[in-house]
Amino acid sequence: MIKYLGPFALILTAGLSNSVSAGDAVAGDTRYHQSCHACHGPAGKGVSSYPKISGNSIEYTREKLMTYRSGQKIGPNSGLMIMMAKPLSDEEIENLAAYLKDAKYKK
Amino acid sequence: MKQAIKHSLVASVASALVLSGSVAMSAGMDVPMIKVTPVLEGLDKPWDMNVRADGTMFYTEKCKGLSMRSPDGKVTNLYGMKGSSGYSSSGADLFCEGQAGMMGVAADRNFDQNRRLYVASTSNKYHGSGCKTNFERCDGNIVMRLTLSEDLKSVTDRTDIVTDIQYKPFESNQPFGGPGAHNGGRLRVGPGGYLWIAGGDRHRGLCPQSPKLLCGKVLRVDTNGNAHPDNNPPAGFDKRIYTYGHRNVQGIDFRPSDGKAFTAEHGPWHSDEITALVNGGNAGWDPQEMTAGRGACPDKYCGYEPDQMDGKDPAVRASYMPMSDTRFADLMPPTWNNNGWSQGTSSAAFLKGDNWGIYEGRLATGVLGIGFGGTPIGQRIDMVGITPDGLGINAITRMPLGFSKRFRGLVMAPDNSLYVAVDEGEIYRVTATSMQ
Repeated sequence: MIKYLGPFALILTAGLSNSVSAGDAVAGDTRYHQSCHACHGPAGKGVSSYPKISGNSIEYTREKLMTYRSGQKIGPNSGLMIMMAKPLSDEEIENLAAYLKDAKYKK
Repeated sequence: MKQAIKHSLVASVASALVLSGSVAMSAGMDVPMIKVTPVLEGLDKPWDMNVRADGTMFYTEKCKGLSMRSPDGKVTNLYGMKGSSGYSSSGADLFCEGQAGMMGVAADRNFDQNRRLYVASTSNKYHGSGCKTNFERCDGNIVMRLTLSEDLKSVTDRTDIVTDIQYKPFESNQPFGGPGAHNGGRLRVGPGGYLWIAGGDRHRGLCPQSPKLLCGKVLRVDTNGNAHPDNNPPAGFDKRIYTYGHRNVQGIDFRPSDGKAFTAEHGPWHSDEITALVNGGNAGWDPQEMTAGRGACPDKYCGYEPDQMDGKDPAVRASYMPMSDTRFADLMPPTWNNNGWSQGTSSAAFLKGDNWGIYEGRLATGVLGIGFGGTPIGQRIDMVGITPDGLGINAITRMPLGFSKRFRGLVMAPDNSLYVAVDEGEIYRVTATSMQ
C-alpha cells in the first residue's frame, strides 16, 4: 500500500494522527450509509465489482481515504472514489475507519 | 457455505394493504399480497437464474460458476470458472474481472427433453491476436451450450455457440474504468425458442454504432449461434444483430401479450432507460469522440462527458451525451426514462399470471442503486405498466419488498413467482396472491 501513497501521504497521515482523536464507529456507520453503502454493500462486505473494505486497520482505511481525497489515483475506480472522498472531513474519515475496522455483514 | 433457508419472511405489504383497505377495494382493484421468501444466501455475486416447473433453479455466480438448486434445497455445483473449486467440471478459460464474469443463464425451450442450458461468460479462449490494448478488437465474451447429465450432477458437451462478443481488457480513464466494464451479459430464450443476448459497449466509443463488432448490441440467434433468419439490421451489419446502439443492457424480456422484446439498461450519470425493441433498430447510444458536436474525450470514449469526474446536472449531461440520440432516423425512443437519473437499472421481467392482480403484465425492473452527484440511490424494483404501443408507461409502482438491496437478476418462474438475485449474495422468491 505504501508504494502507492508516497511520502506526501505519509506526512498527511502523521499530521492527522497528532490532531484527530479516535473515530466514532457509530457516527461512521451513519456516514457509511450515506455515501458508501450503495456500492460497497452492507458493512463494507464488497458487492459486484466493488471491493470489500471492512476488516482493515484504521490506519489503512484512513490512508486510503486521504489519498483519494487528495485527488491521487490508486486504482481503476479512483475517479469514483476521489469524487466520494472529496467532501469528507478529517473527523468523518476517522469515523469511517473506526466503523469499517469491525463491521460485519448480517443478512 | 450456502444453504437453503427454511424460514419465510413476509415482506412489508403496507402500501398494498392501505390501498386494498380503501381506494383499491372500493374500486374493485385487485392489489395482491406480496410475500418474499429467501431461497439461498451466502452466495458470491449471484447474477442470473433459470427456474424449472418443479422448482429446480439454475443460477450463476459471477466469479465462481454455474450451479443447480434442487427442489429439496440441495445445491450441486455444475460448471466452474478458472480457480473455483467444488464443481463437477470447469472451464480454465472462464474468468471474472470487474463487471464481467459468468453472467446470464437460460434453458432451452425443449429443456425437459434435451436438458440444454445456455450460459454467457467471459473467456480468454478466443482472444487470438487481439486484446493487446483497449483500442483494438478483443473477443472475450462467449455463449456456451451445455447439456445437463441424466443424473443431474454435471454438465457435458460444452459447445461455444457465440465466441466473438467484445470485452474490455484494460483500465481506462473513466469513472467506472476498470477492465470488464459495460459487459452486458443477460441471456433469455424468446419467442420461437431463439436466444437473445444482451451486450454492453465495453467502454469503446465506436462499439454501439459499429456494423460488425457485437459490443453494444442485442443479438437474436438460434441454439447453434446462427442469426435468426428474420433479423433485419442495416445493410452491412452482422446478421446476428437484432438491435444496435446500446450502452449496457442487463435486462431483457418479452411482453406476454405480444412477445415484443423490451430492454432495461444503465444510463451514464443520467437517463436509465427501458426500450421497446424494433427489429434492426438503433437505441441511439454513440459515445465516439469527434462526433455529434463533441471533441476529443478521455481514451476516445465520451460516455461520461462532460466533466466525467465531477458532479453535474444530469440534464446538462443528457444534452451533451444523450442516451437516445434523436439525430438517428432509426432511433427506438425510450419507453421510460428514470426521471433523468442514472441509478443503475439492471434486470427486468414481465410479471405473468393473474395472481399479480393489477400488476399482471407490468415489467418488474431492478435498480442497483448508484447515488453520485446528488442523485438519490434508489435501490428498488419498479413495476412498470407499459402502453400497448410500447412507447410510454401508464403506471409505475415500487414493489413492496420491505428491504432495499442491489437488485441484479430478475426472472419469472413457471409458477408465476418472481426470483430475485441481489449483489449482497442472496436469491429470493417473490410471490403474489390475488386478494379476490
